[in-house]
Amino acid sequence: MRTGSFKRSYAELTALTDSALVWTAIGMLGVILLLMPLTAGNYALTIATAAMVAIVGAVGLNLLTGTTGLISVGQSGFLAIGAYANGILLADYHWPIWFSLPTAGLIAALLSLLVGIPSLRLKGLYLAITTLAFAFIVSHVILYAEKLTHGPNGIFLPKVFVFGFDLAKDSHLFYFVLAITVLTVLAALNLARTRIGRAWIAIRDHDIAARAMGIDLVRYKLLAFMISSFFVGIAGALLSLQIRFVNVDVFSLILSIEALAMIILGGLGSIAGAILGAIFLTLLPEAIRIAFATFGDPNSTTYTTYVYEIRGIAYGVVIVAFLRFKPDGLIGLWRDTRKYWSNWPLAH
Amino acid sequence: MEFLALLVASGLVSGAAYGMIAMGFAVIYKATGVVNFAQGELVMLTAYIAFTIASSLNLPFLALMAVTIPVAMLIGLGLERVFIRPMLGEPPFAIVMVTIGLAVILRGVTIMIWGPDPFDFPIGLPRDAIRIGPLPFYPAQLAAMAALAVLVAAAWAFLRFSRYGIAMRAVAANEKAAMLMGIAVNRIHSLAWVLSSAIAAVAGVLFAANFKLGPDMWFQGLKSFPAVILGGLDSIVGAAIGGLVIGVIENLAQGYLGQGLREIAGFAVIVIVLMVRPYGLFGEREIERV
Repeated sequence: MRTGSFKRSYAELTALTDSALVWTAIGMLGVILLLMPLTAGNYALTIATAAMVAIVGAVGLNLLTGTTGLISVGQSGFLAIGAYANGILLADYHWPIWFSLPTAGLIAALLSLLVGIPSLRLKGLYLAITTLAFAFIVSHVILYAEKLTHGPNGIFLPKVFVFGFDLAKDSHLFYFVLAITVLTVLAALNLARTRIGRAWIAIRDHDIAARAMGIDLVRYKLLAFMISSFFVGIAGALLSLQIRFVNVDVFSLILSIEALAMIILGGLGSIAGAILGAIFLTLLPEAIRIAFATFGDPNSTTYTTYVYEIRGIAYGVVIVAFLRFKPDGLIGLWRDTRKYWSNWPLAH
Repeated sequence: MEFLALLVASGLVSGAAYGMIAMGFAVIYKATGVVNFAQGELVMLTAYIAFTIASSLNLPFLALMAVTIPVAMLIGLGLERVFIRPMLGEPPFAIVMVTIGLAVILRGVTIMIWGPDPFDFPIGLPRDAIRIGPLPFYPAQLAAMAALAVLVAAAWAFLRFSRYGIAMRAVAANEKAAMLMGIAVNRIHSLAWVLSSAIAAVAGVLFAANFKLGPDMWFQGLKSFPAVILGGLDSIVGAAIGGLVIGVIENLAQGYLGQGLREIAGFAVIVIVLMVRPYGLFGEREIERV
């Protein structure tokens, strides 16, 4: 039995994980995910796809807020940019998805400099408010720049083909989003253990000390903004592929809150945490719906009238409860459990 | 010229509402170092409560405020006890996140209690326009501006002369030193929430009277951020002035530059202000020591 963590070579030190168990688990998860479209119904596939889109977004936000410690309440703005960029490029300019998807991410990354550059002088709360301002400005520009964005009419996405497969079919979209999600998670995991990732953590822990250690704050903060927004832009583009009709109403402020709730719930700064949080919060509305269907009066209009409010309250309760009782989130819960059992019966 | 005066006047009215909401932010930030993202929801909730009181008791304006403000204070006290007090000692980031959570909870609960439809809120003031020079004002509009002036004067006097106000400034300046001097810091935090809720009640009632009482009123909290930033998060009087400035700027942008700019003019202003002065126009610059 392993009693501690011993590294005997640089290869072991830089490996993503040194546990055969983890690789087995990941392999099994991969097989399950690959087989899922064959067995699961369309509804389950839709939810799974939504969860993966959320994972891409949450991993992106986590790089900024969890790893670098820059609070962003403007995620809905970046999602909107990604979705609109992808929608416009596909529908109006007839780009293939291979170009429009990365371009959507790049546009989000470039526009993030609008918040990123003021952020160099701002800390904490002032920054949070600036990102909020950014999200407002984005949704208003989208609404009023009708020539480019079709304003309040929204954009209908055309049929999108990947290797001849129509993404309008749920299973095809599922595989496509799965591939992008795996790439995103791998990219984030690798970023976290490079110089960039370590520099971000140093900035989060103490930016003045980080600067004294030779970390260029301007560069790394802007890099955090750009890379995070790139992922969030991609998530927005994937979202546009799933909903197939891009409208500014989709990107309301509650999306930003939802994204924050995901990474807090999962455990700030942890990629596995962001994934868990994204899955949990995507399933939460379903759980609420099922709970209402099971325990509530099926004919009551309370649920249908107040669906957004109930969802909002649930997000709020999740945020408050986790910050209060388990600040390191689901991933902390998992770590505690693992530690308990690996040390059992000698807890200390 | 008449057009300009009209824009400025109506800008001052909405600016008075922003100013009052912004003062609520500043009170809590000054005492506790936390931006209360639930301030807009507090404004909405207290306005709805005042609406219920007004429609069941049919009181004149000042009596309505006299009943609503203590209720609002109790709500503020309760919220601080349940949501914020247990987080004492946690990093500000975590507490701010709690206020974000609190905001969505309050918003949902308020809409579920009073329903999604807006109400017309008669607050017990006459409805005939009063002319000041060439400009017509409704009594509720004048009341909003008067209330802002009263609140600013009261806040100034409270922070200058009252024992608790001085204690609050001490806590704001240095929490540890204040604690060592025998100030009950947690009580000052409670007090800040209580006062902020009282200000929110005044702001909520007057905003609802001037515009409308609807489930999107929480949004005014976010729209008041530019005012707080402009004034500097820790300056209560600055927040009030910031509110008036933002109100006027928004209206001028709407009138002269184009439709739709009203909503974002304030935000555009703060992005610029923060680039030039990261601590707001009246805020204190923090010097950090490693």
